[in-house]
Amino acid sequence: MIEKLDAIGTQALRDVEAAANLEAIEQVRIAVLGKKGALSEVLKGLGAVSNEERPKIGAAANTWKGKIEGALETRKSALEKAVLEEKLKTERIDVTLPSRTPHRGTLHPVTQTTRKLIQVFSRLGFDVTTGPEIETEFLNFEAVNIPKDHPARDMQDTFFAGPGVVLRTHTSPVQMRSMRTRGKWPVRILCPGAVYRCDDDATHSPMFHQIEGLWVDQGVKMSDLKGTLEFFAKEMFGASTKIRFRPSYFPFVEPGAEVDVSCFNCGGKPGVSCRVCKGTGWIEILGAGMVHPRLFEVAGFSEAEGYDKLTGFAFGLGIERIAMLLHEISDLRLMYHGDVRFLSQF
Amino acid sequence: MRVSWNWLSEMVELSGVGGPQGLADLLTRRGLEVEGTHSLAAGFEKVISVQILERNPHPQADRLSLCKVTTGKGEPLEIVCGAQNMKAGDKVALAQVGASLPNGMKIALSKIRGVTSNGMLCSEEELMLKEKSEGILILPPATPLGKPLAEILGRDDTVLTLKITPNRGDCMSHWGIAREVAAAIGKKAKRPTPKLLDLKGSPVSVHLEAGESGPQFWGCYIEGVTIGPSPDWVVKRLEALGSRSINNVVDATNLLLFELGQPVHAYDADRIEGKKLSIRLAREGEEIPLLDGTTVTVTHSDLVIADGKRAVGLAGVMGGGNSEVQDKTQHVFLECAEFAPSSVRRTAARYQRKTDAAQRFERGIDPLGHAHAIARLAQLVTELAGGKIKGSTNALMPSRDSKKMKPREIRMNKTFCEDFLGMPVTSKEIHKLLEAHDCEVQETEKNWIVTPPSYRLDIAIKEDLAEEVARSLGYDKIPSTVPKLSNVPTPTASEEAGLRFALLNRAKDALVQEGMMEALNFSFTSRARLQQFGMTSSVKLANPLSEEYEFMVPSLLPGLVSNSIYNWNHHFGSEPLAIRLFEFRPTFQASGKIEANSETETGVQENWKLAIALTGPRFAGGLRNERGEVDFYDLKAMVESLFDRLGTKGIRIQPMNPLGSSTYPGLFHPGQSAEILAGNQAAGVIGLLHPGKALELKTRAPLWLVELDWEAVARLSRPVTQSRPFKAWPEFPSMERDFALVVRDDISADKITQLALKAGKPLAKVAKVFDIYRGSQVAKGMTSVAVRVIFLDEGRSLQESEADAASAKILESWKKELGAELRS
Repeated sequence: MIEKLDAIGTQALRDVEAAANLEAIEQVRIAVLGKKGALSEVLKGLGAVSNEERPKIGAAANTWKGKIEGALETRKSALEKAVLEEKLKTERIDVTLPSRTPHRGTLHPVTQTTRKLIQVFSRLGFDVTTGPEIETEFLNFEAVNIPKDHPARDMQDTFFAGPGVVLRTHTSPVQMRSMRTRGKWPVRILCPGAVYRCDDDATHSPMFHQIEGLWVDQGVKMSDLKGTLEFFAKEMFGASTKIRFRPSYFPFVEPGAEVDVSCFNCGGKPGVSCRVCKGTGWIEILGAGMVHPRLFEVAGFSEAEGYDKLTGFAFGLGIERIAMLLHEISDLRLMYHGDVRFLSQF
Repeated sequence: MRVSWNWLSEMVELSGVGGPQGLADLLTRRGLEVEGTHSLAAGFEKVISVQILERNPHPQADRLSLCKVTTGKGEPLEIVCGAQNMKAGDKVALAQVGASLPNGMKIALSKIRGVTSNGMLCSEEELMLKEKSEGILILPPATPLGKPLAEILGRDDTVLTLKITPNRGDCMSHWGIAREVAAAIGKKAKRPTPKLLDLKGSPVSVHLEAGESGPQFWGCYIEGVTIGPSPDWVVKRLEALGSRSINNVVDATNLLLFELGQPVHAYDADRIEGKKLSIRLAREGEEIPLLDGTTVTVTHSDLVIADGKRAVGLAGVMGGGNSEVQDKTQHVFLECAEFAPSSVRRTAARYQRKTDAAQRFERGIDPLGHAHAIARLAQLVTELAGGKIKGSTNALMPSRDSKKMKPREIRMNKTFCEDFLGMPVTSKEIHKLLEAHDCEVQETEKNWIVTPPSYRLDIAIKEDLAEEVARSLGYDKIPSTVPKLSNVPTPTASEEAGLRFALLNRAKDALVQEGMMEALNFSFTSRARLQQFGMTSSVKLANPLSEEYEFMVPSLLPGLVSNSIYNWNHHFGSEPLAIRLFEFRPTFQASGKIEANSETETGVQENWKLAIALTGPRFAGGLRNERGEVDFYDLKAMVESLFDRLGTKGIRIQPMNPLGSSTYPGLFHPGQSAEILAGNQAAGVIGLLHPGKALELKTRAPLWLVELDWEAVARLSRPVTQSRPFKAWPEFPSMERDFALVVRDDISADKITQLALKAGKPLAKVAKVFDIYRGSQVAKGMTSVAVRVIFLDEGRSLQESEADAASAKILESWKKELGAELRS
């Protein structure tokens, strides 16, 4: 019987090896290990075997069974793997096809620059506040020390919407509104927003954006203004940026200054031909000064105790101008066309 | 304003300032911004006077000459010349090798038809002295040889152009600038000092009839003048300053203006009617012929100079044509007066004549400068036009009487400058530099008592003095310090404006995350544009830049639609264009009259709005059929996602009233738009631009639009200071039931789901339509709607039977209310 088992087993292993697909494997399994398979058939004759022989034959049969099952399993998984591989070959995609890109949204450079400015000044303790764009002539001018029929009015060509009603020419009326609403110092505010002037050419737009800062408290010094703006310049244009104050005149401050920053493009070396600073080494960037005491009177601070020590500084800058410098935008008018070729770049 | 270096040097020693550029830097550092310096000799370097010794024909060319010229010393030079107007002995201008002429021509050693030319003999055209000229420039016989032409022509000067700020009227003259420079470099400024006039014997009298609007009038009568051209130096000086020479008397008045900053005028004395001049308010409708040949009709608020009969000048702005000096004038009467700045400013603006005189008067002139100015003017006139002073006179308001004037004393604590500027400065320095600026300085133990000079109208308070100190020492000497926080920053939660601003930024970020780009449009628009959109604006500008910018926008949609069209018009090729724009800006409305009713009220309401314009493929990249096209539901998703991120509660998007939007008549597709409600209030519209309108506007694709009342949304949104609360998910599983309903196709999904939630209370928590089908499988006019309802009890597991019971109730409600049937 042993010989018979060996013959079946050997043949079975050969058949497994020869099976070309999963069905052939199954046939082999049924033919050998099935209920009516060859192995089972042989074992049916086990009853006729002597007690002595029986365990030996049983063991031999089990060994063969194990071997065949193992061979079946190995062969099966090899065939399965081959099938999968065959299938994967048909599932290849072209990874170089274009990606299904979502649309990328962008904030207008004016918004981005405003945020950056707010972020910088917030570190020093300023709060943000806003006000209406259509203002009374009083708050836009008289209240900030620009009387009627004063030549300083020429510095800001004004749109009128009605008697005594103007499109604000700067965000200074927000400062005044804010001081009046709070009714007390200290006041540390940033006033961002749109402003309007009757001007329309390559470098002037009838509507543009400003941010003004105001710091009012007892004992505020002009050197504090300088320190504040120096910090701003370094944060905005790089740690090696320097600033320069030049005396100037804005009716709402005294003393007043124009402030330049060293050119971040050429490093502020004068004489080099530089498209940003035109070779001067400096870029005019903002106006600033110490708050004119007249503004405190209009704000209603002059009666309060400690008023004699009350001082403050203020500064104002054009947001588009900063944005143009930071992003190297050459034409101001690009800002207002809603052109996706422009907007998508920021 | 222009300043001549040469003229300035006559008033203050400039040798130490480092030339015109050094002077420009010095002035700019002191707040007198120099916009440019221009050398009149630019291009005249290496151009000198020479004499022609011989003129011979060129051996190779008939029309050229060969000139031998001498510079007065050394070897004669050979020059090839094409002109014909010169002869031996003439003195001419030679551009030497290396010269670079004003017209850009560069002179090099060159061979012309085989002969070397050592330079070029110049024409006036080449030197840009004239626009056109024939032949070369022949100089007068007395011209010395070898001298720079610039010097011979009086062009050895540099002109500085200054931008004088409105507060510094005192710097609107050479004398003013000289004073400033002198103070800066520690020198004394000097000027011609004529003897002051005796105020008697004037045949013409002067009168003040407008009070403080014309507070002083000085006059001087000069008889026997000869009107004629001015001498060369005067013409040159005026030209350098951008002014044209008229005649010797008028030129004298202009010289005085540039010298002292005091505008003056000369009348033909014989043309003054009634032998009197007065400053008075104009009569309504009075006509004045002006010097420039025009006539203006003035109003009662204008100030004029009048003689016995008529107005003869627009006070402080321009003299009259009916009394001006003419060639035959024999006697002149000189006017030196003062007019209120605001009056001159109004009149100059009204008639658009910002003359040199008006610019100075509106800034304010030295109220004590007239005695000197009129004497200097008389001196200049008699020097240039002959004649002699017959008599002088003046009229002063008490405010201008130097004996009665109150000194303008400013009290300043001695430590103020240091405290206020934050820079170290000694008492000695302050004292010295205030005095250098002509201030009278007295000292008490604690204070300075400072009287600024009469011409410094800008110095009125101690801060002004501090500025003088800072400006004199240099702003660069101010150190940088950090301002001190004397209290904590204001909590954001307590500041309404800050909260609004932060919420706005959150909304912008939310839209950016949806792939939207922020646009920014002008708040101006035109009547025609608004009409196109069926809109009107209640806020009109009184002085718009143009009709295009006449009104303030009532809506942001026209702007975004224009942007879209702009983008389509600038888009080339066949790639699909995605336009995904949003804008946050105020819109402007007025319900009544726009006027300042108080210090803070304008009658204009500003309502912030959010607008969106959307069109194009759903994805920016990818294969065409996968990118899709945006439609209403993309737009709706955008808005819903915004509300979700802002925590906005209580906003509904509901079908448009069949009549269409009343806010935007005819702007939206009636079947593909919806109303946005905040609570029960209309807060905006969402939908497709009306196809008829789209055709009219020439859009290139369907354009999806939203406009939202931002104020309404902001009110319903979670304050930025509040965090989004965490919500635990249900512990027990929910149950789902799907229904396939057949309903009439005018029944909205919203109705079906609302009904389900109502009928399935309290277990039905979510109901949504997840598929719809219209077509051959269902009857015409009907829709098959697949609805899923989710049942849940947060405290326990549900039994199947409970879900079934609730489902039955829902079905019954659908049948009853909507006539819905389950699809078989």
